[in-house]
Amino acid sequence: MKKILIFAILAAFIVPVVFANGGSDGGSDEITIAFCFQDLETEFWVAGHSAITETLAAKGIKVIEKNANEDANRQLEQVKDSITQGVDGVIIIPQDGESAVTIAKECNEAGVPIGVFNRPPADKSADALVVVANNEAIAEQAVEYIAQEAMKLNRKVTPAIMVGDLGDPNAVGRRKGFYNVIEKYPDLWTGDPIEIPTKWDSNTALANLQSAMQANPDIDFLFTSSDFLYPVIKSVLAPLGKWQKIGDPDHILLAGLDGDKTACSLQKDGYVDATGVQDVFAEAQMLLDAMLAAIDSGEGTPNEWLYDDGFALTQGNMADREMDMWGCKLLAAE
Amino acid sequence: MSEVDQLKTGRVGSVKIIGRKLLQSEFFVLYLTIFYLLVLFPFIPRVFSPYNLKNVLSNTWPLLVIAIGQTFFLITAGIDLSQTSIMALSSIMGAIIMTSEVDPTLFSKSPVWGILLSVKGGLFSGSPLALPVGLLVMLVIGVLIGLMNGFSVARLRMPPFIVTLVSQMLFSAVAIWLSKSENIRHLPESFSQLGRGGIGPIAYSLIVAVIIAVAAHLLMSKTLYGRRLYATGINPRAARISGVPTAKIIIAAYAISGFCAAVGSILYSARLEQGRPTLGSTLLLDIIGANVIGGVSLAGGKGKVLWTVFGVIFFIFLSNTLNLLNLKFFYIDIVKGLVILLAAILDVTRSRVVLRYSGGRA
Repeated sequence: MKKILIFAILAAFIVPVVFANGGSDGGSDEITIAFCFQDLETEFWVAGHSAITETLAAKGIKVIEKNANEDANRQLEQVKDSITQGVDGVIIIPQDGESAVTIAKECNEAGVPIGVFNRPPADKSADALVVVANNEAIAEQAVEYIAQEAMKLNRKVTPAIMVGDLGDPNAVGRRKGFYNVIEKYPDLWTGDPIEIPTKWDSNTALANLQSAMQANPDIDFLFTSSDFLYPVIKSVLAPLGKWQKIGDPDHILLAGLDGDKTACSLQKDGYVDATGVQDVFAEAQMLLDAMLAAIDSGEGTPNEWLYDDGFALTQGNMADREMDMWGCKLLAAE
Repeated sequence: MSEVDQLKTGRVGSVKIIGRKLLQSEFFVLYLTIFYLLVLFPFIPRVFSPYNLKNVLSNTWPLLVIAIGQTFFLITAGIDLSQTSIMALSSIMGAIIMTSEVDPTLFSKSPVWGILLSVKGGLFSGSPLALPVGLLVMLVIGVLIGLMNGFSVARLRMPPFIVTLVSQMLFSAVAIWLSKSENIRHLPESFSQLGRGGIGPIAYSLIVAVIIAVAAHLLMSKTLYGRRLYATGINPRAARISGVPTAKIIIAAYAISGFCAAVGSILYSARLEQGRPTLGSTLLLDIIGANVIGGVSLAGGKGKVLWTVFGVIFFIFLSNTLNLLNLKFFYIDIVKGLVILLAAILDVTRSRVVLRYSGGRA
């Protein structure tokens, strides 16, 4: 028993060292960037993660990856540990806009450039390179297409929106874009939109969408603030006989935002009418270019907001712009 | 037996004695931590850099405070799963009191909107009383939930596991309900300083943790309550027959655990500069793991504040070094899990060694 115990203790010490990539202790000319993400629960974040790590690797830059498992405090500790390692820059996908501010301040104090990918800080009190989609404009374009399609029905339509976590400025922007169009055509709708909270969580979305569809069976336009919720939407609408292709009398007008593979596939199959697209690859490239420029110039606290204007892929422009959507590119590459 | 054999036997005997003494030593986990760091030092020299040590220490104090609360609980042979929900609810309620500004888009559907919260912030927004009242509310919430748990276990004879599990669910849900799952920012600078500031080089969180650790140590080792706490943990029935008011002892342990969770919530909320309804939701393994590593027995009746201090230090250094080694995140969790398992096995072995060499007097 004692021998096993001694072996186990030694193994506990040796295993981490064996599996380690080697701590970065500076001193070399190699650029090291810490990439700290909150989790990779959607296609968008997975694609963003791949785009960032692969681009950096292609440039010969060492990437240290840290997953905070959706814990803001853990992410703060991981960023501090990364600073200890003497990294040249930090890129984060924060848990939320509020924690992004705290983490950015920590990097500012240490004089390490920080880039925030796609989920912007709640305010601009800390210096950071922030790349963010123009969520309001993108959502507006997608919902505008739906409004035009709704007008062709010659009847009023009952709108509903699956709202993201409103602590995330992305969710706020998407909701605002949706409402801009709703308010633009007040006579087109049967009443105020039905709001379905999702908290960016599939289980929450499922429960709330089921309740909403039972309480409001006349919903015939659904906007999801993120494409990753389409499997949830299908699982709720299909048993009700409302998961139908465009042209079917029971079709619910569907629009979403992100531009992932699932959305592309569903749009090609005729279930989804429009998708607001944020260009994950272009966003990753913008952020990395700005970060590397800051590192080259020795700037410790660069401060710049970079915007992805995006666009809406609709059934109307599908033939021309399909391959501009990152999800369609990934789908075609499979 | 030849001279050489005698010498060999003597050496083996010495090693055994040293090994036994190490296992029996109160400082075993501290020695283990030093050994661990020395093994890793060639691979990550920055582990001893001032910035990293500052990091490690700033991560240590909040966890230590909460883990000390759990120690009280573990000594009674219970386990407090509700500490994380106490942290969340304290964090949100404190922030509701102290915040100076909230976004109506996010909070207008909160049940406290128009009562405790408005566009101008909380009830004490901008007032010099915001900090003391906010802190008081946070601490009172911790103690009240602790008392409620303690009453359910000690008086209603409900199993601690179920009581604290239900508390965890209930109060986490209340925190989310009150805040509509949103984080509350714009807290007073004096509050944020509790997490980041200090007196000279000494962080406020260090001062708080030391005060709590010393008070807990004195309470456990120098008072009648401490002796009764151990007696209750070792054999509650025997303790009751001997005249120990076990119900009161257990209720007090729960209240202390709740109080410590609330203090931890203050320190974590201050360093994050926000009230979070999910604060501490992933921390339970760290809290219990640090206690187990320190040698606090899950079977009750055995544990000291000093052991918890060593356990927390080891656990924090473990997390820190695994990060510095750039391990993939799944390896980090695997290693952490294995180390806690190992600590539990080690605890059993140490108990056997102590039992064997103390003539059965454990």
